[in-house]
Amino acid sequence: MAHSTQASEVRFDGQAAQEDQSSHAEALMRAALNAGAGEAEAVAQGSQIISVRFEGEELKLTSADFGSALGLRVLHDRRMGFASTNQVGTEARERTAQGALGLAKCSPADPANVLPDCHPVTRDVQACDDALSDMPVEAVVGRARDLVARTLAVDPRLRLDSCEVVLRRGAGAVHSSAGVEASASSTSMSLSLFGMAVDGDDVGGFDYWGGHALDVPSFELLAEESITHFSRAALGNLNAQASESYTGPVLFSPSAFMDVFIQPLVSAASAIAVQRGRSSLAGKLGQVIAADMLNVTDDPTDRGLMGLCAFDREGVPTQPFDVINQGVLQAYLYNGYAAAVDGVSSTGHASGGARSVPGLGAHGLCVGAGQGGRSADMLKHLDRGLLVGRFSGSVDPASGDFSGVAKSSRWVEAGAVVRPVRETLFGGNLFDLLPQLLQLSSEAESVMGSARAPWALVDGLSVTAG
Amino acid sequence: MQTDSCNDPTDILQEALNADGGEHVELRFHSKRTRSIAVEKGRVDQARLAEHAGVGVRVQSGGAHGFASTSALEVGAIREALDNARSAARASARKDSVGIGDLPPAELARGVFEEAGCHELERRPIEESLEWVLAMEARTRAASKSIQSAVCRYSEVFEEKGIVTSDGAKAWTRLVRPEFATSAVASKDGDIQRGARSVGATGAWDCLFRRADAEQFSEEAASMAVNLLRAGQVAGGRKRVLLSPSLVGLLTHEAIGHTVEADFVAAGSCAQGRIGEQVASELVTLCDSGASEYLPGAGGTLAVDDEGILAGRTEIIRAGVLNSYLHDRRSAAEFGVTPTGNARAWEYDDAPLIRMRNTYIEPGTSSLEEMIAETADGLMLDGPKNGQADANGEFMFGTLQAWPIVNGKRGDLLRGTNISGTAFDVLRSVSAVGKDFEWDLGSGHCGKGQPMKVDAGGPWVACEVLVGGQV
Repeated sequence: MAHSTQASEVRFDGQAAQEDQSSHAEALMRAALNAGAGEAEAVAQGSQIISVRFEGEELKLTSADFGSALGLRVLHDRRMGFASTNQVGTEARERTAQGALGLAKCSPADPANVLPDCHPVTRDVQACDDALSDMPVEAVVGRARDLVARTLAVDPRLRLDSCEVVLRRGAGAVHSSAGVEASASSTSMSLSLFGMAVDGDDVGGFDYWGGHALDVPSFELLAEESITHFSRAALGNLNAQASESYTGPVLFSPSAFMDVFIQPLVSAASAIAVQRGRSSLAGKLGQVIAADMLNVTDDPTDRGLMGLCAFDREGVPTQPFDVINQGVLQAYLYNGYAAAVDGVSSTGHASGGARSVPGLGAHGLCVGAGQGGRSADMLKHLDRGLLVGRFSGSVDPASGDFSGVAKSSRWVEAGAVVRPVRETLFGGNLFDLLPQLLQLSSEAESVMGSARAPWALVDGLSVTAG
Repeated sequence: MQTDSCNDPTDILQEALNADGGEHVELRFHSKRTRSIAVEKGRVDQARLAEHAGVGVRVQSGGAHGFASTSALEVGAIREALDNARSAARASARKDSVGIGDLPPAELARGVFEEAGCHELERRPIEESLEWVLAMEARTRAASKSIQSAVCRYSEVFEEKGIVTSDGAKAWTRLVRPEFATSAVASKDGDIQRGARSVGATGAWDCLFRRADAEQFSEEAASMAVNLLRAGQVAGGRKRVLLSPSLVGLLTHEAIGHTVEADFVAAGSCAQGRIGEQVASELVTLCDSGASEYLPGAGGTLAVDDEGILAGRTEIIRAGVLNSYLHDRRSAAEFGVTPTGNARAWEYDDAPLIRMRNTYIEPGTSSLEEMIAETADGLMLDGPKNGQADANGEFMFGTLQAWPIVNGKRGDLLRGTNISGTAFDVLRSVSAVGKDFEWDLGSGHCGKGQPMKVDAGGPWVACEVLVGGQV
């Protein structure tokens, strides 16, 4: 990792950092092959992270840290072993190679244990910003102080449990014996606000908001949006009252819609879930699984989302990928292993970091907007019932059953919010309910930098009030 | 750096310690070695060795804390990290800062602290574990023709820490935390149900499989998945429930434990200003401990916290009265009390936060049979899923299985659901506390910015909660 050693004088050179990580990955891959491995894939990641954490109005901790991770997947006669380390020396490299190879030799053979072929990465995401590359610790502290002050100035009843601003600068590389050589570097600044409002003896439910930005102007916009969202939600949670039990339509915020419906739905579209018999979407390619207004795309080119990337964990190039189009299931998501099981090509959905075997997942899910108007119009479509701001519960992606508590949620009458609610549970089955999607709002919003989704009105839920 | 079982690192830390006048310095070497295996449907998804080791440095200087780390256990590298931490602290300090103030007196740890089980598990070759996990997964999958898929996971995390502080702590700790989890997916006529069992401990297999062996866990996961296919749904509403030890663990952890963490209290949680108040039934005494009370091997066991304080037992609620919050040194200074040994960091490059360890309700006098017989209309709930607590004390957690109780008799299995309530209201509603104690939340992690291994438990408890379900 290219960096100076004094935290207050940190400078980041993305190109040099990429070259460093490439050389680490290459050396680790060579160590595995020299140890006798048939095939090897090495991932190297290095980061500089400056984080500033406030608790309440008090600056609790400033951290300026440099970290690295090396991961090695070894395939030997179609047997797989994996090892990782945070040490970059020769001795650690050899120990890691021996460890992964030893594990591979005692694992059973699996014909799908192959490394993905090399496909050139032609897209450069250009995720290094000069201002963020040069930003010193003091500037990050200053932005955090400003964020806390502006948030608490909104209303004296607001309390911050924590506020964090994190500047991340890093690079990563993948090298494999199948010819993959991919590397990238990035800078970003993220924030999070977590807290509640307190009015005398009334303690409101907590809420949180945040996201990440690739440059300073975007961070400023994010800060403004986050303060507005957090303060509105936290203050709105004061004086919560009982709601009502019923079966019928519920209005979901973009965040709750993602958590209850879309994330589990896309998990069920994982090829491994299908292959292993734990997906309700098995055999449903090309079939209608939701109302025709639903479109879901995985978009690794969206610069507003944290999943921005040019290649996946295995070095396979990524591109926008349709999962649901007009309610019809378009495709399953594949990493290299799942692709080998089905005899197809990876869709570039290998996920995870250097410290574990590649997983399978989406990069940046985007749900297409509908024609339901703005969020206020969606209240009118609901007319009377529950608006769920945040979901605290569990979803089983295999069965689609979900159940949880409606947090930061409101009771709606005559198309308008009349009170915040407390102790309100709701549940259903997402596969049964997606065809009962009644409306999507006309704009998709960022969900804390991880996804984009509109507001959604869904019929048929069971709501239990305390 | 050699990260196999290493020698006492505290002499190197002591040599590197270089405090300016008036500042407080903590040096923490932390080595974590993980061996993990995951098998699904006969295929090895994970056969993994991981090492993550280095030294975390925290400096309190000029009214602020600064943190930095290095992956090298070398005097020069540690001093460089110390300079970085000092710079970060000074970059944070303001001219008008009032400072953190003097740290309160505390029982500083000195010496070697080793939990049982490290040597025993280190001697067990990973090849043996791999074969055993493959066999357990196959056994789970073969339990019924309805089983479509099974997953079996086993991991061991070996942790060694050396902690040296500028005010005199000097401790070396070693422990191992094994974890076993198995799940099965059954399907019939398009319906899919999942059964799962998991266990985690601090210690060797005598602790991990104290209550049941791995074969029994596999059978239970498989039969749960199959039986849930023909189970009905719970009817929602406010109900009297009997919570199993694992769910009592979730209740103590989610509903109470988080709201009494001093950082959350300072932010305005519902526990703020209520020390000395009757917040629960007199039947309830609720504690958090670094030791494994009642039964050995609880998953959050530690002798010394990550600020070098001896990790003792804290009575959070004594006979229904709120008695203490959970503190690190800084919050203890702010609240004017003694630190409770709750400062914990996930890895060397994480700064310590206030976290729980082993949280539990002390056993009472009732048998489970008596508690069922005394229930006219209610539910018996078992099997923890996830959980979350709110600042206002409102909590939710998921359960895997439920049984109706009508006129003192237990009925047929129902599908699990989510339950909710307000922490102190639910504790005030406690009408019976069982006499048989279990630790049963040692698998998985608690999340609070960093993951953390904790455990929780207690006996069966009767109380009133809001149950989600059909209306």
